[in-house]
Amino acid sequence: MPVENIVSIRQLTKLYRQGEIDVTALNGISLDIPRGEFLALMGPSGSGKSTLLHIIAGVDRPTEGECRVQGQDVAQLSESQLADWRNQNVGFVFQSFNLIPVLTAFENVELPLLLTRLNRRERRTQALTALDLVGLADRAHHTPRQLSGGQEQRVAIARALVTDPTLIVADEPTGNLDSNSAAEVLGILQALSRTAAKTVIMVTHDPKAAAFASRVIHLEKGELLPTEERRP
Amino acid sequence: MTIAGFIVKNALRNKRRALLCILSVAVSLFLLVSLLVALREITLPPEDVGAAARIIVRNKVSLASPLPARQRAVLERIPGVEAVTPFTFYGGKFRDEDFPKFAQFAVDPKEFMRIVVEAKMQVDQLDAFLKDQRACIVGKITADKYGLKIGDRLNFIGTLWPCDLELKMVGTYQGTIDDRNLFFNHKYFDEAMGNLGQVGTWWVKARSIDDMPDVLDRINRAFANTSAEVRAETERAFQMSMVSMWGNIKILVRSICSVVVFTLLLVSASTMSMAIRERFRELAVLKAIGFQRREIFGFILAESFGLAAVGALLGIGGAWAFFTHISISKLTDGIFVAFEVTPQIMGVAGTVAAALGIVSALAPAIAMARMSVVDGLKTLD
Repeated sequence: MPVENIVSIRQLTKLYRQGEIDVTALNGISLDIPRGEFLALMGPSGSGKSTLLHIIAGVDRPTEGECRVQGQDVAQLSESQLADWRNQNVGFVFQSFNLIPVLTAFENVELPLLLTRLNRRERRTQALTALDLVGLADRAHHTPRQLSGGQEQRVAIARALVTDPTLIVADEPTGNLDSNSAAEVLGILQALSRTAAKTVIMVTHDPKAAAFASRVIHLEKGELLPTEERRP
Repeated sequence: MTIAGFIVKNALRNKRRALLCILSVAVSLFLLVSLLVALREITLPPEDVGAAARIIVRNKVSLASPLPARQRAVLERIPGVEAVTPFTFYGGKFRDEDFPKFAQFAVDPKEFMRIVVEAKMQVDQLDAFLKDQRACIVGKITADKYGLKIGDRLNFIGTLWPCDLELKMVGTYQGTIDDRNLFFNHKYFDEAMGNLGQVGTWWVKARSIDDMPDVLDRINRAFANTSAEVRAETERAFQMSMVSMWGNIKILVRSICSVVVFTLLLVSASTMSMAIRERFRELAVLKAIGFQRREIFGFILAESFGLAAVGALLGIGGAWAFFTHISISKLTDGIFVAFEVTPQIMGVAGTVAAALGIVSALAPAIAMARMSVVDGLKTLD
């Protein structure tokens, strides 16, 4: 059975202009990411891993090349179409959680659903299911301030999951967590790729975090280094 | 949760700042409404039931120049004229006051009552006013303010005219556009002044409103090329010319209003900028998870507009309640009779508040809407 690639990147180049100088963030990268893969992107600062993540997630555009996600050339979408596309296809997890402090855990998770056509009851069911998946259904009415760092990141994962996206992108998701909380969060991401067939792309500096991934790729100066594959 | 609920929670996330912002809008709009009401009060020409058929005749040179008393006979013979009374501003200090705090006018009582038909008073008091040369009638507001009662002797020290007067209060009146004035017999004034044969102005009543244009023209022509040429005009036109004397005050009050609005704009804009700057990361995340530029723009505008609207409700509503339920006459020592917060003034203040809510948030809302998700996310870690 052929492998279905969720992400397909060809000759991707990204240049940034800093004053009079063009800086190459990505240089002719080609990469396929199959459905259900948990991919770790590693590399030193400035290697282009976050830029690659942003282009795949549709929050940045390449200078040259093609980035297809589920067959859709993301760069061809307008700003407005991209926003809708991100809402339906991508879940974001950030290093510093970025929950809205005035909303409860439940409301934070419900937030992306406000952009859908779901009614109040359906939104409630879906948000509680997502919170249950990360083991925080009993913390639904707590505000971020009342949660630990690990719990906040689990709420952020629930928010990323709630629209049932194909792709979850995580930028240093364990960067602000202690080792136990980090292991919990990485375990959830791993489970999502293995049992729910979600494609998870994670940027990390931490080899221990990368060890949870099914594949690790290294970037350096905007180019891919040889791939290290762990398990299917 | 709804989008509206989300906006409300964001607007109130820093409760102290939101409260201060609302209060600054409320206090400023209260002040703005007060200034607009005061401006209206001092510049609005009064209109009452008798005004339409009344003519004021004054010296063509200036209001301060008197007219000869002999003109009365000429005026009374002009076709279309029903009644004529001298109307001279006395301007005396009452009791120990530093300056005249209410106006006193010398009139012909009988003709005056025919001309100012809206003045309501008891028949016996009117009789006394007509019979006693030293009698005076006092507007109800002034009578109440000073606790004056019928039979009181009222002593005045002349400030414009070199004569002091002792008047006997025989009645009170009400129902005119300004129930603060005192009226007394011109004969007593003439006597006190040594029969100078002068009057301040003439008040004339035309037989009908239709006669007004002809009567005005006849009066002006009757005294043309005499030693005391006159300017006859309708009461409304006369009042408008009095209003025009407030010109500088109007400019001053309008300038203060502009400063209030501009200061308010600066305060609100600063508050909104702070509120947005500290949520830069959150708004970038909202964009990342699928909120459109226009939605982010709308959230910020709605938040700002909401705070301004609550402030407006408190400020404008407070001004309305305050000026409706307190006696402005007592508060201003009789300088103002009534402060009416008209729908038009509330509309102006409401428009200012709405514009304020939108304009103050416009710059941060545009900046945030234009910000790319990547630039916003770069500030995250």
